Amino acid sequence: MGNEESELGEGGGWSRGFRELDRILRGEMTSLGGEPRIAAGRLTWVVVLLCMAYGACMGTFAVLAPDGPGPMQVLASMVKVPLLFYLTLVVTLPSLYVLNALVGSRLTFGSVFRLLSASLGVNVAVLASMGPIVAFFSACTTSYPFMVLLNVAVFATAGFLAMGFLLQALQRLSDEQWPANAADAEIVGEPTAATRPQAARRPEPRVRTIFRLWMVLFGLVGAQMGWVLRPFIGHPDLPFAWFRPRQSNFFEAVYHALVALFS
Amino acid sequence: MTTPHLLHRADALLRGLPEPSPPGATAWRSRLAILAAFGALYGATMGSFGERPLQAAFSALKLPLMLGATFAISLPPFFVVNTLFGLRDDFRRVVGALAAAQAGLAVILASLAPLTAFGYHACGLGHRPAILLNGLMFALASLGAQVVLRRSYRGLIAARPAHRAMLRAWLGVYVFVGIQMGWVLRPFVGSPGLPTRFFREDSWTNAYVVVWEIVASVLSGS
Repeated sequence: MGNEESELGEGGGWSRGFRELDRILRGEMTSLGGEPRIAAGRLTWVVVLLCMAYGACMGTFAVLAPDGPGPMQVLASMVKVPLLFYLTLVVTLPSLYVLNALVGSRLTFGSVFRLLSASLGVNVAVLASMGPIVAFFSACTTSYPFMVLLNVAVFATAGFLAMGFLLQALQRLSDEQWPANAADAEIVGEPTAATRPQAARRPEPRVRTIFRLWMVLFGLVGAQMGWVLRPFIGHPDLPFAWFRPRQSNFFEAVYHALVALFS
Repeated sequence: MTTPHLLHRADALLRGLPEPSPPGATAWRSRLAILAAFGALYGATMGSFGERPLQAAFSALKLPLMLGATFAISLPPFFVVNTLFGLRDDFRRVVGALAAAQAGLAVILASLAPLTAFGYHACGLGHRPAILLNGLMFALASLGAQVVLRRSYRGLIAARPAHRAMLRAWLGVYVFVGIQMGWVLRPFVGSPGLPTRFFREDSWTNAYVVVWEIVASVLSGS
């Protein structure tokens, strides 16, 4: 552990943050045994930066529409994409932690937070990597519904990949913390909790169910949060506004975008 | 890079022969040179419709640009997703395989250029048949490039089957972006009734929306 700390200590803050994200993407954080060793603070800055980069790509559509919201939309989207993720996390994290503790998981609040930070890192890395494609389509599309649906598809892809990562990380953690027998526990080097009498009752299926339910909740809250924080893309016929009136909901809006595109 | 050397490298690429040592930067340069030279050759042929030299020059520039730009903006998500699926160690080989397929596509297209020129000038094709002919050539070249791609990927898939799914994802994203890139950079053939331009005036529109509007108008019978 000490070696890793000194290894992480090399280089500047940003490059260390990106290296951290790289290690998460490679699966190193969750495959080495024990709890995820993630410096969540350092990672958060990189996540915010990547969110802002994607926000800028999203806002490109508004800049190029002659009667649209203009460059202010880019700025607004750069602020709002990080907000979208962190506000959703603030709303949903407490319930996850409480339910998690209730079903007997050994994950502490810090571990849950680090695990979610890592998943968020995966989510925004995928999102930001698709930024150039979104910016390219923004530059050469006049159809607003197409851009809405493309962004929804990109967010959904990133979200599903992050979900897969989270479940896999959880599985590894659970395998390491609750090995099949005591001999395995000794190999893993965690004899204390794993050899306790209650270790016979592995809470892992319930924890996985809680996490699965939570991911659905995160998706729903995130989608609606995106709706509350809209506009991100900026309708080409409407002037710039930080927020739109709070009417309708995300799913209705996606349905209307589909109808508008295909009619 | 001299012409005989370029032809030699293109031949090696089609036959799947290994890169000369040392690989790395030299291999990249040769693939890029093949893409630019052979792509430009087919582009120029494509643009020779109606015997307009300026259109031929524009198309010679635009074809390698289309292939290169599509490759460049499809690569970042592919890199992230490959890393996520634990395939990062192979990424150099993966990009090498994809770049080889791109270069292969350009070489195959260039080999079809005489047929396209024959179709234009000897058969006196009209504008729409000329576009269809080019569509056919691209389809043939894409099939040929698949051979190069699958050959380069065979070892990767044998070692890690996850590469198969990655390859499918790559083709999906590449085609999705490539269609739009081709639309933005058109005209490649050049309509005889319109003045020669680098971009069309309505270039910056969305190919998928336009296609859907055509389909919808056909379906509604208007």
